[in-house]
Amino acid sequence: MLFHTWTFVLFFIIVYGAYLPLRHTRLKVPWLLVASYVFYGWWNPLYLLLIATATVVNYFAVVLMDRTHWRRLWLAVGIGSSLSLLGFFKYGGFVADNLNALFGGLGLACKASVPNVILPVGISFFTFQAMSYTIDYYRGNVEKEPSLIRFATFVALFPQLVAGPIERAKNLLPQLRAPSRITRQDITDGLSLFIVGLFKKVALADYLALYVDRIYDSPGQFSGPALMLATFAFGWQIYFDFSGYTDMARGVARMMGYRLMLNFNNPYAATGLGDFWQRWHISLSTWFKDYVYIPLGGNRRGKFSTYRNMFLTMVISGLWHGAAWTFVIWGALHALGRFLTRELEGTSFYRRHVPKIAKQLLVFAFVTFAWIFFRASSLSDAGLIVSRIFTGAWTDPRFPLVALLLIGAVWAYQFLCESRARQVLKLAPVRVGVVVLMALYLALCAPSGAEAFIYFQF
Amino acid sequence: MADERHSHSRQGDGGGEDRAVVAYASHEVRLSGRQWLAAGALILGALALLPVLWKRVEPFRPGEDYRIPYALTNDYWFFRRYSRSAAGQGKTLVVGDSVIWGQYVNKDQTLPHCLDRVSGRTEFTNMGADGMHPAALDGLIRYYGRPISDGKVVLHCNPLWMSSERHDLQIKKEFRFNHPRLVPQFFPPIPCYRESCSGRLAVVMERTVPFLAWAGHLRVAYFDQMDIPAWTLEHPYANPIAAVAAGLPSPAEDHAGEPASWRERGIREQDLPWVDLETSFQWRSFRRLVGTLRARGNRVFVLVGPFNEHLLEEPSLQRYHELKEGIARGLDDLGVPHYVPDALPSEYCADASHPLAEGYELLAKQLAECDSFVRFLGEDGGG
Repeated sequence: MLFHTWTFVLFFIIVYGAYLPLRHTRLKVPWLLVASYVFYGWWNPLYLLLIATATVVNYFAVVLMDRTHWRRLWLAVGIGSSLSLLGFFKYGGFVADNLNALFGGLGLACKASVPNVILPVGISFFTFQAMSYTIDYYRGNVEKEPSLIRFATFVALFPQLVAGPIERAKNLLPQLRAPSRITRQDITDGLSLFIVGLFKKVALADYLALYVDRIYDSPGQFSGPALMLATFAFGWQIYFDFSGYTDMARGVARMMGYRLMLNFNNPYAATGLGDFWQRWHISLSTWFKDYVYIPLGGNRRGKFSTYRNMFLTMVISGLWHGAAWTFVIWGALHALGRFLTRELEGTSFYRRHVPKIAKQLLVFAFVTFAWIFFRASSLSDAGLIVSRIFTGAWTDPRFPLVALLLIGAVWAYQFLCESRARQVLKLAPVRVGVVVLMALYLALCAPSGAEAFIYFQF
Repeated sequence: MADERHSHSRQGDGGGEDRAVVAYASHEVRLSGRQWLAAGALILGALALLPVLWKRVEPFRPGEDYRIPYALTNDYWFFRRYSRSAAGQGKTLVVGDSVIWGQYVNKDQTLPHCLDRVSGRTEFTNMGADGMHPAALDGLIRYYGRPISDGKVVLHCNPLWMSSERHDLQIKKEFRFNHPRLVPQFFPPIPCYRESCSGRLAVVMERTVPFLAWAGHLRVAYFDQMDIPAWTLEHPYANPIAAVAAGLPSPAEDHAGEPASWRERGIREQDLPWVDLETSFQWRSFRRLVGTLRARGNRVFVLVGPFNEHLLEEPSLQRYHELKEGIARGLDDLGVPHYVPDALPSEYCADASHPLAEGYELLAKQLAECDSFVRFLGEDGGG
């Protein structure tokens, strides 16, 4: 079920309508769980088995940690089972394909069978969320959740179930335990977040997708300018798509009285790669920092090990996004960019004399270049796109001017948000006007079909 | 990612502290309750007013022998506007599919035109639209045809839509049929219609909210049936506002199909299976349509066929006669005046159901001599 469909509107009206009277009763959490499972099962009811497995295993891993002395064993069981689910459904095919290529290269007759499974929607999100609880409990950062129903609701809470933000037990479980309180501001803020997210997704991301998909589906048929503009458009598409989803998720949760963490904060206004990752998919960045980078040693053992740990974290993060070598390269590129900007930021010349806008444009250009590997269907496609962008002949890219205008408007808005002139955005007529225009644009120009969110595939 | 040097003051939204740190995080446009009320009022006002104002801006003057431009066949908002205009003139509306529209003839050779000629007055308005099978016609009138309430309606029943399970929308295999946005979206279920739940709800919303139907009108009339973003992809440097300023498609741009008889086209005789009238979805829809019209005070006359019987092989012809008689009996039971013409001469038929110009001429004369039709035209009330 997608947020920007009438099915979701109907679903939410029913769920919210029942939630309001139930929120002061013991049925609040069970009702949320039922709603969340209906939401997730809408894609395929069989997927519910996966989420139920991840829930039950992590819940009982913590129960057993609490009751026995084999804490490490149960931690390993919790993490191992989550990673096994992820490994089989997400990486099974990738591993088998690479093994077969290796066997073929070595002239061996053996062949690994490729699992014929469809990647369940949002599996990377709910497994990470469930796993974080187990690790946090092991570290003593959260208390044991006594109720399986409440824990299951924490793992499956529908607004953030399929594409995050990846919530921590420390933030969400106390909210599920506490008596529900919905203020007028929760509702107005929730609505505000939802309409902005809806606009980003439907008016911007889905629009840009029309151009991007056409070019990236057969890059060999297009020349450098079209490929360059498609890459530029994809940078904005994925941002609008994912941050739009997050805004809607936070908006829906907020209307129900829950506060999900901020996941995006003007990432294309970042002045360095480190800054970028503090603004882009913040819930995942902090997850990897807490559960991968710091356990590897973080930045405590000198420059070499810091960069090694960053590199490993980024490559794993790349693989988290997709089971393909293109994602590994994307992660490695970001690690490289992180090293470079970190070193540059260490020099006083860069800090003092390079204008902020130049740093922002540099970061934007680098991130956009890296998106080529993220979006391309294969390594050979990515190579072709890079070579044509830098060496190809000029032909008319036929990029819609209207799309360019929309991107320009949003970019200007984004820079405005970070400048002193942002006071103008606090004026009531400006904000009301922006909301009215967004709503009318959506009503008039929204594409007839509902495109899925890009991050659902991860 | 993953740099411990940076603080995480931006992260949490818990307790609302992020608002202080990041005033307008990630494109936020926060409105207070009052501002939402103002925005809601403005949005609702615009949604209600824009389609109404548009009618004043968009020139539309249907002249004599007007028929819905072919390009606007799927523009149901336009149908509503056209039906309001036609009903306002107190004319008799001839409603049906491309047989009424006049697939193989010019606009001055259609059945409504011929009826005008034989009756010597400008009484009949062409409300035919291509591919409008009974289930779609029922939806068209139910959701977009309210302006024609209380008027006289000549309703065409084309037996072609009952000639096979596929035409009758009874097969289970999915296929693209005409006007899916007009058929029942949920009940009764149509086995070959597999639209998603969201898609069906979107159709229901379009029927309910005039603004959405109007947005559909803009897409169909000015943007090659595409949504505006998709259209800009095909016309990357064009100005969408200039496209709208170009005006509505005109029926003069429609070219009639080749005026040749079915034999000249090389169509062979066929063994059409025909469906059982008792279980026919299209027949049920047609009866529902008649009921809707009569409930709205319309006086209804039904023209059944004509179907090109020369094209049918013997067993099929026999089944067709049974079907035709069944339809007539059904209409009798409903108390609806009707006319079931004999088959037109073979050379007057362009295909299975479309007459050529001479066929329409003959049909109009037959109708003009039909007592029940004459009585229907002379009636001032009843149904």
